[in-house]
This record gives sequence, C-alpha cells and structure tokens, in this order.
Amino acid sequence: MSRELHIVGFQVGRETYGVPIASLHEIVRVTEITTVPDSPEYIEGVINLRGKIVSVIDLRKRFGLKENTNNRKNRILVVESNGRLTGLIVDSASDVLKIPAEDVEGAPAVFEEGGLNCVTGLGKYKGRLIMLLDMNKLLAQAGPKRDEKSLNGKPEGMSARGAAAK
Amino acid sequence: MSGPSDDRAAELRQLFFESAQELLQALNADALHLEQNPSDREIVRSIRRTVHTLKGDSAACGYRELSELAHEFEDVLALEVGPGSPTELAEVALAAADVFEAMLASYREGTSVKPADGLRERIQKLAQQPEATKSRGRKKRVARSLHFAWSEYEQLAIRNALQQGRTIYQVSVLIDPHCAMPVAGRQLVHNALAAAGEIFAIRPEPGASHNSSRTIEAALASELSVQQLQGKCHIPSIVAKVTVEALQPARSRGAKVAAAPSPAPPPELAMPAAACANEAPESGTTSESPPPAPTAGIPSMENILRVDAERIDNVLNLVGELIIGKSMLHQTVAEFSRRYPKEALRNRFSDAMAFQSRVLNDLQRAVMKIRMVPVEQLFRRFPRIVRDVARQCGKDVELVLSGQDTDLDKSILDCLAEPLTHVVRNAIGHGIESAEERVKAGKEPRGTITLDAYHQGNQVMVEVSDDGRGIDVEKVRAKAIASGLLTSAQCAELSETEILEFIFRPGFSTAEQVTEISGRGVGMDVVQSVLHRLKGSVTVESRSGQGTRFRLKLPLTLAIIKALMFTIENRLYAIPLNAVAEIARATEADVHQVDNHEVLQLRNQILPLVRLGHAPSGPDSLHRKFFLLVTTAGDKKLGLIVDGLAGEEELVIKALDDQVVATELVSGASILGDGRVVLILNLAAIVERVSRMRPQDAGAVVSGLLFSHSEYQARRSTPPGSTVVEP
Repeated sequence: MSRELHIVGFQVGRETYGVPIASLHEIVRVTEITTVPDSPEYIEGVINLRGKIVSVIDLRKRFGLKENTNNRKNRILVVESNGRLTGLIVDSASDVLKIPAEDVEGAPAVFEEGGLNCVTGLGKYKGRLIMLLDMNKLLAQAGPKRDEKSLNGKPEGMSARGAAAK
Repeated sequence: MSGPSDDRAAELRQLFFESAQELLQALNADALHLEQNPSDREIVRSIRRTVHTLKGDSAACGYRELSELAHEFEDVLALEVGPGSPTELAEVALAAADVFEAMLASYREGTSVKPADGLRERIQKLAQQPEATKSRGRKKRVARSLHFAWSEYEQLAIRNALQQGRTIYQVSVLIDPHCAMPVAGRQLVHNALAAAGEIFAIRPEPGASHNSSRTIEAALASELSVQQLQGKCHIPSIVAKVTVEALQPARSRGAKVAAAPSPAPPPELAMPAAACANEAPESGTTSESPPPAPTAGIPSMENILRVDAERIDNVLNLVGELIIGKSMLHQTVAEFSRRYPKEALRNRFSDAMAFQSRVLNDLQRAVMKIRMVPVEQLFRRFPRIVRDVARQCGKDVELVLSGQDTDLDKSILDCLAEPLTHVVRNAIGHGIESAEERVKAGKEPRGTITLDAYHQGNQVMVEVSDDGRGIDVEKVRAKAIASGLLTSAQCAELSETEILEFIFRPGFSTAEQVTEISGRGVGMDVVQSVLHRLKGSVTVESRSGQGTRFRLKLPLTLAIIKALMFTIENRLYAIPLNAVAEIARATEADVHQVDNHEVLQLRNQILPLVRLGHAPSGPDSLHRKFFLLVTTAGDKKLGLIVDGLAGEEELVIKALDDQVVATELVSGASILGDGRVVLILNLAAIVERVSRMRPQDAGAVVSGLLFSHSEYQARRSTPPGSTVVEP
C-alpha cells in the first residue's frame, strides 16, 4: 500500500500547490508574452514555446492575489490537459514531491463552491499542506466568466502587465 | 470472425467509416439517377453492388444491424424480376441511405442503433410485390437464404488461410425444425463451431435474433477431421443434419482468383451445394452472380493513398516551422552581413539561403496541394438535398453544378458544407416560386439553382444563384426600420446592396414576416459568421423577379497567409495583405468626427476610420502623424489607424487555444523569425464589433478596442517600451 503520488509543487502567494507530474509538460522561465485582446484579466496572453503558441494564465490573478511579486524565480508551468498545452505563471516552482497516497485527503466541501473547486485534494508533505489541482477543472472555468463579460459588446479588460512588470 | 487485436479493429473501423461514406454517396447518386432513368437496369445493379459492399464491410467490422439491413435490401435488389416500380425502388434506396447513415453515425459515436423497422417494412413490401405475382421470385429468395456468399473480407481470410496450408471446412448445419428453442440451439451450434476451430465466416452472425433461418453455414479452419467435426456439431435434438466439406487449396484455383478480380464470382468459394441438394438446380438457374467487383465507386485504388488528415497537418506544421526557421536564418545572415561587410562567406551564405528558400517554397506548395480537394466533394451532396427540399416545398427545381474541379483546402471545405446547405435550402424554400407562379411570370415552370465555384486571384468563389423571385428590398428596408436598426432617414441614404446586407444581421433574419414574404432569412447570420471565421465573406445580389445570387468568397487556404504587420501602441499586429487596398499617411488634424465615429477625407472619398488604439491627448496631438491602412472588409472600405508599419511577411497561422483565449477579434497567431508572437486580427469581426460599440459619453469616439481602459491607464503611467519586458 505504499503508492506514492508524484507531484510538482509550486508557490502562488503564500500557498503551495501541486499538479501530478504526468500532466506537466515542462517548466520555462517567464518570457515575452503577447497579450490577447478581449480575454479575461487573468489571461496573460500567449507565448511562443518553441514554435507552439501556448496560452498563459496568471495563477496569481486567477486565485485573486492582489500583490504580484515579479522576480527571477517566477516560472511558467506548461501543463497538458486534454491534449492542449497551457502555461501557468507561478511565483516559483519546486522539486518533484513524493507524497504517499494515504497522506492525501479529499478537498473540504467548502471548496466545492466558489473559485476553488479545482482543488481535488490536500496533500501533507513534511508538515506542509499542498493543494492538488485538477487542470481540467481549472481551465474549464475560463469559459463562463468570459462570456458574460464579452456579451455586452464592450472591450474587455486585458491584464495590466505594464503594472506587473514594475 | 477471428478476433483481431483492438488496434487493428479500430483501424479497420476507421477505414470502414470512410469507405462507407463514399458508398452512401454512391448510393444516393445512383438512386437519384434511377429516378431520372427508371428503365435502366444497370443502375439497379450498381445500387446492389454498393449495398453488397456495404453489407460485407459492415459485417467485417461487426456492425450487425447495418449488415443485416443491407443484406435484406440486397436480397430485394437481387430479384431479377425487378422489385416494385423503379421509382419506388429509388425512394427506398434514398431512405435506406439515410438509415444507413444514421446507423453509421451511432456506430461511430458508440451509441445504440435505432431499429429501422420502417425501412425494413418498406423493403419487405418492395420484395412482396413480385413475390406475390411470381412464385419464382420467392423460391429464389429461399434459395439465396440458404446460400450465403462470404463477403470479400471473409473470402480473403479464407484464401489466406488456405495458402498457409491450413485445412478449411465449410460446414452447413441444419437445425431440427422441431427444436423448441431455435435461438438457443443456434447459439449452441455457434459455440460448438467456435470450439472446433477458428471461424472465418459464419451465417447467420451470432445473436442475429430476427433471422429465422434454420441453416447455419460457416467456414472454419480446424485440425479435426471431417468426421470429428461432424460429431462435434451434431447436438442431439437440436441439429438435424450436418454437412462438412473440406476446401482444397488448389494452386490452379488460387491463380484464377488472382487473375479474375471482377465479374466472375470467385469459383473456389462458391458453397458446395451438398447440404441442400434439392435446391441446387434452382440456385443454378438463378445465376446468383455475386456482385462483380465490389470495388465499384472507388476509382483506381493503386494510385490513391488514404491518409489521415492529421498526418498532413503535421507535415504542414513542420513546413510552417521551417518557414519560421527560414526567417530566423534570414535575420541572422542580414545581421552577419552588417557586422562583417567584407567577409567573403557572405555571398555563399546568401546563395545557400536563396536555394533553401526556393526549395522551401516548392515544399510548401506541394504540401498545400495535398490538402486541396476538389469542390466536387462538397457539391455532390447537393443533388440529394435539392431533391428532398424541393419535394418538401412542392416545387420543381433543377440543380446545375459547375466548377466542381476547383480546388479548396479540405478544412475550409468541411466548414463550408453547413452554410452552403443553408443558402441552397433557402433558395429553394423562399427564392424559387411555385410552378404556377413561375408560369404566370413568364418563366420556365422548373426553377434552376446553380452552384458554381471558381478561382479568383488568391481566393475561391462559391456562388449559389437561383432564378426565383429575388429579395424584396423594400420589405427588408421596412423591416430594418421597424426593428429599430435604422431610421427612415438613414435608410433613404443606403444603397440597395447595403440594405440587402441586413439579412445577415443576427436576429433580423429570424423575424417573422420578412422570411415568409420576401424570402431569405433564417440563420443567414450563421452563414456570415462561418464565413468570417474562415476569413472569407459573403455577399448577396438580387434582382426582383429575376433571382438572387449569393457569393461566398474564401481564402485558398487557412494555413499560410501573406500579411502586413504594423504596430499599435508598441504592440505588433498583422492583417492579411489582400485585405489592404492602400497605405497612406495622415495627421490627427485630418480626422473628423461624425456622430460616434471618426472619418477622414481621402482624395474625394469619405473614409470611416477605426481606431484600435487610443486617441492621443495633449497639446500637440493634432500634429501627430499616423499611418492609415485602407482595408476592404466585404465591400466596405475602412481606414485603420496604426502607429507604425513593420513590414510584410508570410505568416504561418496557428490557432489560439479556443478554451482559454479565444476571441473573435483575433483570427490566429503566428511566430516571427525572432521568436516574437504576432496576432493576426480578424478585420470583419473588428468592424462588426466597432459598429456595435456605443461609447458611454455622448460625443465620445469609439477607440481602443484592443486595449482596455485600465490597461491604458497603467500603460500611461509607465514609460513606453517597458510594457512587454519581464525579468
């Protein structure tokens, strides 16, 4: 019964999150990002990943963090879900964590509502809590939010990267 | 059948779906043909061949319902006396094509197949007519049901096994007529046969419940002797009689098979008639000739390769990357030349570059050509659609096709099917008048719809024209005013063409009366939105009483475009070069404001402007110069205000991730030689959006579509140039 989950951990704000290593494509440094008009605020834009166009989500904005600390540790986690690649901007990425399966608990019911239903479980690792994310759910939520905004025919907010860069 | 591995089976199914689609097309075409020439027996035979192939193929894939239905239908077609009237046969064939298609769809999706009792009944009815009058027909049916011919696949499998030196038996088992549970009995026999060896073919297929046949016939490879096999199959009180015959792997016969692919039935596989000797003479006279060449409809297979479209896309993607690589190399060489102007290697570099780019161009063109398919593939579904819709509306309509060999990118073609169908349906439903009305108007009683395709420059035009009553411009005008899209004053200024454009407005078309009285309507906005997505356009021309013509303009391909790149507020964007009519310079002082929109006088024309960035503010903003891209979207001219030009380049279009960042404003992205990503703007959508936008403040101007307000604030507070740099 010593099944282990292999999780790539990363920090967003003060919390540590994790995605299964199988869904991770690669981790790259934050490169030049091209903003896309008409997209929700937490969409940073698209990057060129060796000839592939990959959309990038700022997880810090996605999780509603106000202050963004941009520094050299920032990374883009390129994850694969349903055959698509998506980039996630995180504060920093850590090593692969091996968490025994029995140390993972289901997500509290509170998470089911609100913006956190992409959390599938809580893993305990060396005294820390790691929130395990379900990529499909995280990305699926991009849909409805966008629609109501773009319906009223007004140009929709793009991320203020100018401010982020400061 | 022997169980191939899952992968293999999936592949086989995929192949089957593809070929089945073609067979259905052929079936449709033949049925329509038969309707025109009811006396032509050759068409009936052709239909039968098609149905037979479908039967065999579907049986090979284990799609029992389909193969059974096809089998029944084929039986009816096989009746030499001529089943029913040919027109009725054509009807049934068309209905069958529909049912088969529905079945295929559910197989493909893995959903359960709906029983096709309606069709079955019609088929049976078709069969009964001749049977009632001529008993000969009936007997033949009986004879046939005892004489299952193995399908092409099964024959092949048997032949292969024979060549491998295995012993093949043809087994015929007669179930005892007094058996209480014939279904269970059949199952037992199946089990016994399966245990005895590898079954290559068996009729009826296991689980075929409705089939009341009392005979089971099978071809199987087995190690057992004839007697052992007979013993195995003889289940007391269920089986009345077992006949086993070994097939001989005769050399001479094998050669005959190889040499005679068509008309003659493969002789060595004809069932030995021992099991049903009393039927033999009759089955001999029926000249049951199994269909000649089941490959009918698939032209000269040797030279045609069926390739997954995805693989070609892959190659095209690689070519795209190569083109990106080329421009990378180009830039580097330019840089190199600047730095070492005296270096002798320079010339060799540029020679090599020139050679490489020439080959690359050829390669690109070659790959594009693979993706091109003739429009015929799209057009050939229309005879059926036109017939059905015309019949529904009680109208007499003729369809004329031309330009079928015009090539178009496969992906565009696929997207085009729906809007084109829509336009055609509308043309029949609303455009073409009833026969009496036409005669009254002095026209031929039969209406004509023309589908035409041709190349025009770098684009493909697909036209749908009818000789119907045309669109009533006044009705459209009245409707536009009534629904508040226009004031009557505005309306008076618009040309007829501009008024007609209103039929593409969403919501406009679905409105009541316009559709009924003047024709066109439901879902024309859908047509337009599909065309926009394809970076094409649709225009309409109409003459009252003479007809309407819809013109669909499409790019040759979606994959690579020539684009003009420009910057707006330090961001790089691109638009297709063929949308740009001219480039001019102007200053802010030339810009005038009319209502909410900015305009500019260019020579003698008033040009509406679109400002994608923000209007400059400050004391000397009036003297600021900008570039003006005069673009044509549809047939409207429009000036795009941009800050700077960044050159012209061949861009490989890559789609944006729909799920996360899709926006109609951007039709795709591309990667430049230096690795930057450039967004390709969708002009049509931008124009559409701008025309819908209403600024909050009266008198304000629509601007900054590509930039949100908050971002603009942020941008102003940071020095320009720092916007896109991150550590």
